[in-house]
Amino acid sequence: MATHAPTHAHTDHGPGHHVEPKPLGYWWKRAFVATVVGVVLALGVTWFVRWAWGFHPLWNAGVYWTMIFIFAGIGFIIGIGCFDWWWDYLRGRRVGFEDHSMHGATSWKDYLRPNTDHKVIGIQYTVLTFIAFVIGGLYAEGVRAQLAQPGEQFVNGQTYNGLFSMHATIMIFGFVIPVFSGLANYVLPLMIGAKDMAFPRLNALSFWLLVVAVALLVFAPAFGVFTSGWTAYPPLALQGTTGTTMFEIAIQFAGASTIATALNFMVTIVTMRAPGMTVWRMPLLVWANATTSALVVFGTPFIAGSQIMSLTDRVMGTNFFNAANGGDVLMYQHVFWFYSHPAVYIMMLPGFGIVSEVIATFSRKPIFGYRAIAFSTVAIAILGFGVWAHHMFVSGMASWIRIPMMMTTVLIAVPTGIKIFSWLGTMWGGKIHLKTPMLFAMGFLVTFTIGGLSGIYLGTLTTDIATHSTYFIVAHIHYVFFGGSVMTIFAGTYYWFPKMTGRMYNETLGKWHFWLTFVGMNLTFFPMHWLGTQGMPRRVADYAPRFANVNLFISIASLLMVAGTIVFFYNMIYSWAKGAKAPWNPWRGRTLEWMVSSPPSLFNFDLTPQVVGGPYQYGIPGARHAVVFAGPELGGGELTETDKRLVLIVADQAVASPALIDDIRRRNAEGYWRFTYVVPSTVDDHRAAERRLQTALAVLSESGIDANGTVIDAPPMQVIDKVMREENVHEIILTTFPLGSSAWLDQDLVDRVRKATGIGVTHVTILPSEARATVASESVARVVIIANYGIDDVGLAALIQKRADEQPMSAIVLCPLSLEGPSTTPETDAVRAEASGRTATLIARLQEAGIQTRGEIIDGSVTDAIKVARTAHHANTVLLATRPGDRIEITEDITAAAGQMNLEQVTTNGQTSTPSGASEGR
Amino acid sequence: MTTENVTLGADLHGGGPADEQPRHMSQGTFAMLLFLGSEAMLFASFFTAYFMVRFNVANNVWPPIDPVTGKKYVLPVAVTGVNTLFLVSSSFTLWWGEHRLQKTGDRKSLERGLLVTIFLGLTFLVIQFNEYWHLGFSPRDQAFGSTFYSLTGLHGLHVIVGLTLLTICYVRSRRRHEFTAERATVLWASSLYWHFVDVVWVILFCLVYLL
Ligand code: HEM
Ligand SMILES: [Cu+2]
Repeated sequence: MATHAPTHAHTDHGPGHHVEPKPLGYWWKRAFVATVVGVVLALGVTWFVRWAWGFHPLWNAGVYWTMIFIFAGIGFIIGIGCFDWWWDYLRGRRVGFEDHSMHGATSWKDYLRPNTDHKVIGIQYTVLTFIAFVIGGLYAEGVRAQLAQPGEQFVNGQTYNGLFSMHATIMIFGFVIPVFSGLANYVLPLMIGAKDMAFPRLNALSFWLLVVAVALLVFAPAFGVFTSGWTAYPPLALQGTTGTTMFEIAIQFAGASTIATALNFMVTIVTMRAPGMTVWRMPLLVWANATTSALVVFGTPFIAGSQIMSLTDRVMGTNFFNAANGGDVLMYQHVFWFYSHPAVYIMMLPGFGIVSEVIATFSRKPIFGYRAIAFSTVAIAILGFGVWAHHMFVSGMASWIRIPMMMTTVLIAVPTGIKIFSWLGTMWGGKIHLKTPMLFAMGFLVTFTIGGLSGIYLGTLTTDIATHSTYFIVAHIHYVFFGGSVMTIFAGTYYWFPKMTGRMYNETLGKWHFWLTFVGMNLTFFPMHWLGTQGMPRRVADYAPRFANVNLFISIASLLMVAGTIVFFYNMIYSWAKGAKAPWNPWRGRTLEWMVSSPPSLFNFDLTPQVVGGPYQYGIPGARHAVVFAGPELGGGELTETDKRLVLIVADQAVASPALIDDIRRRNAEGYWRFTYVVPSTVDDHRAAERRLQTALAVLSESGIDANGTVIDAPPMQVIDKVMREENVHEIILTTFPLGSSAWLDQDLVDRVRKATGIGVTHVTILPSEARATVASESVARVVIIANYGIDDVGLAALIQKRADEQPMSAIVLCPLSLEGPSTTPETDAVRAEASGRTATLIARLQEAGIQTRGEIIDGSVTDAIKVARTAHHANTVLLATRPGDRIEITEDITAAAGQMNLEQVTTNGQTSTPSGASEGR
Repeated sequence: MTTENVTLGADLHGGGPADEQPRHMSQGTFAMLLFLGSEAMLFASFFTAYFMVRFNVANNVWPPIDPVTGKKYVLPVAVTGVNTLFLVSSSFTLWWGEHRLQKTGDRKSLERGLLVTIFLGLTFLVIQFNEYWHLGFSPRDQAFGSTFYSLTGLHGLHVIVGLTLLTICYVRSRRRHEFTAERATVLWASSLYWHFVDVVWVILFCLVYLL
């Protein structure tokens, strides 16, 4: 797909593209009919060919089943609509290359049919694969139930073989491999600044191929359980029944699906990176997926080949593995492992990518050894093709292959070690935030390292000969798969959950999930090392009685993981439906997916972003990874990056006090901060609080400080709690009056906040007099009110409040007193006292209303007062207030004194108090 | 690492990455190349099977002895050799059509080239099918038969897919007048596929029939 489509609506793509979407039922009815047609066609074609070729017997169930599964699978995919576009194309019909009729989702129904939006596909993949995870997990518990005691517990040996075979197959082909494709499908195009994948229709097809594969695997037991383990070695696999056929065909569908996705990733990564994103600025997840895709593209055909041979041997009587007729069983193992060893990295490298993202983000440090991690990923992939025979040390293969394979195997530990140390280096000295994704990433470091170490034992010929086919292998597999892949899958799922669903998950439940899983997995799998070295064989339904206690312990411990998984699903489902709305960038990540909304808009970016730096420059002031632009309908311009560390300012009366604002200015100069004011207000009328906030924000934005704020109708503890849940707050500034005049301090607020939040709290004390003083700032209008009699009229205060609502302002009240004669007689003192009383009333009223105000008595005329207003207060506006009937004559003198200032005459209403007297005496 | 200042001009408006980064290869062609890499590995897996069977054969007789007749299996090298020429020449006819399109924008020649290529491809298939019919052994006869039929059969499937692709190109060109000298991704990709099928055949012929 070309990438220049405007992003906002389907409708502006010209005529002919806006097709009324068909209801869901239509697609599924079609799919059903096409599946049935596929079955009928399979029967007909097979019968015809066998008849024409003169095969005997005409009826051979194995062949017919094979054809039925293939045709039914393809029929389903055609029926559900994956090929509609191509069908039009190959008939020579007019097709729109920019056809977006299958793009994006507006309801859950859009997830149940082919969709070309990578975000929808990502979620489809993730949900389907987690369902497979549950099914695979149930099989595992079946295995553990059987092994809880020696002897036959619940099932016979044959069924037991089916249990572990189904468990491994579903987990590997239905969960671990595709779930990584799902997560990457969602985030990878976002990370590289693309609007979608390179081939959206192919992407949709990949998913539905997987649906067929998973369905075949899940329903296989109904057709005769498949019992030869996920490795399906002949001659054992050749004794299988229809269930085995389904496994072998499922592998073909799953393989086609992963190859298609891998091609898509490769082309997307190579051709669709945003301008400025050089390979050394690609996030490490992108590196990991590019490498994995290469492994998939060049490796997967080998498992496809091996399963085709196995299938034809069984149902058609070919002789690939039949030694009696010149076949070679070992050949299967070579071909199989030539794919399946690289496949273990297909299942691990994307996880490495996820962990690199998570660890850098939650350590708030640039990743250590970016290039080392990138290169070691590639090195692992290349070496990975040269180690396959370490699975065959005891198989009887040519013995000269052993030593070279042992050396390459052990060599792989080097790039793997480079990664582990790079992640540790990233965390070293970082400011680690123990959010759930980070916990899983750190847990991964521990458990995967253990798995890598047992890998070295296995790679070493001599120890492998002793431990091959024992529980030591099971321990190794699970430390690398569960402790490795699955831990990273959980890390990634939590990390991108807010982006994918637009909701936050529950952190507490996330932590429960982690600890249950981490403890559970170690208790379950660690003892298996011991069992293995003591000689308990793998893949056997029974064992020697001396292993009974340990096995019982393991079976019980595995229930911890079950509990963890239940917590996980509850958290995911509940949070998806009811969780708090997620901000764009809850983790303050640097990569591009965090610079768009959660979830992103239909085509991700309105305009192509510009990449300007590396992706992990945490803590480097001013450094940025990319610039994202808003579309023209939003007025264009750069979208705000919320990467700065957030300081929460909690204040009430002192919101706009000059002292506090100076403090914020100072702090802002020290680093890369942004500020959010919250003003807890429990009174009915929020206008005063809002006026103060408006003033403060005007002043701060004038100084170029990134600040915003809200008035929240709740007591302070609740307000803080709410904000902490929604945003990643770095520090809190709590502003109060001094002890004795502060209700907040009486409630011991500072300590309580400290305890409740666990982050730094700075307590700033502001005197009431400072709190309400005027601020000097260009963006705050300075209005001087000159009045004498009538200065304490309610009308005047109301009038000024109205002005304050129009524009942030500070008020300076001047009361001119022109007294004749000596200035300090008892009479003059009395007059002055009276005047200052009146003035104080107005000041109090205005401050009460949230206007920063000060005032003074001027010994002199109105003209003098105007001069003071101009020279001392730099006023923008002067209001001359008189009582009804009075008037100040605007003389030449006055206009001269006023200069550039705005001069206005206002009349008060002549009432010194409101009828209820509400604002008096507070 | 340092950050760079970028000028953010009007050129960012509207265009996506596809337009901004001039490329020599279209996405479709690139994808096809990768896909062919994957296809090559699929053939490689069957060649692995073939050679492992061949190196393990009893008494080092290859093709092996047919246990029924007691004689060696025979492959019709001469007929297949001629057939190989058909397939190889089809690559040239396709190349000619594309070349005309690129040089002169002549779509008629392209269509002619495609038709001749399709005809040659079909001829190859028919002859190959005929060969199967008369070979005298089946995929069930020894591992030799299995590997022989799987390799040639897999290749035959690829010829069918290639012919489908070329037919689609022909239909698009005839009915929609698609493909110009500059824009013909589907055509380039299909022709890459066809050349690949040819090359694989030549290798297969040398290794399985001649060697
Ligand atoms: C330092 C890295 C590693 C080394 C040296 C290593 C080595 C080995 C060796 C030698 C075996 C064969 C044991 C035997 O069957 O006798 C083995 C088995 C296995 N390894 Fe690893 N491994 C490493 C990492 C991994 C990773 C990262 C994964 C997957 C994510 C993995 C998955 C497996 C699996 C699934 C098996 C068992 C296959 C089976 O027989 O069912 N390994 N490993
Ligand atoms: Cu391996």
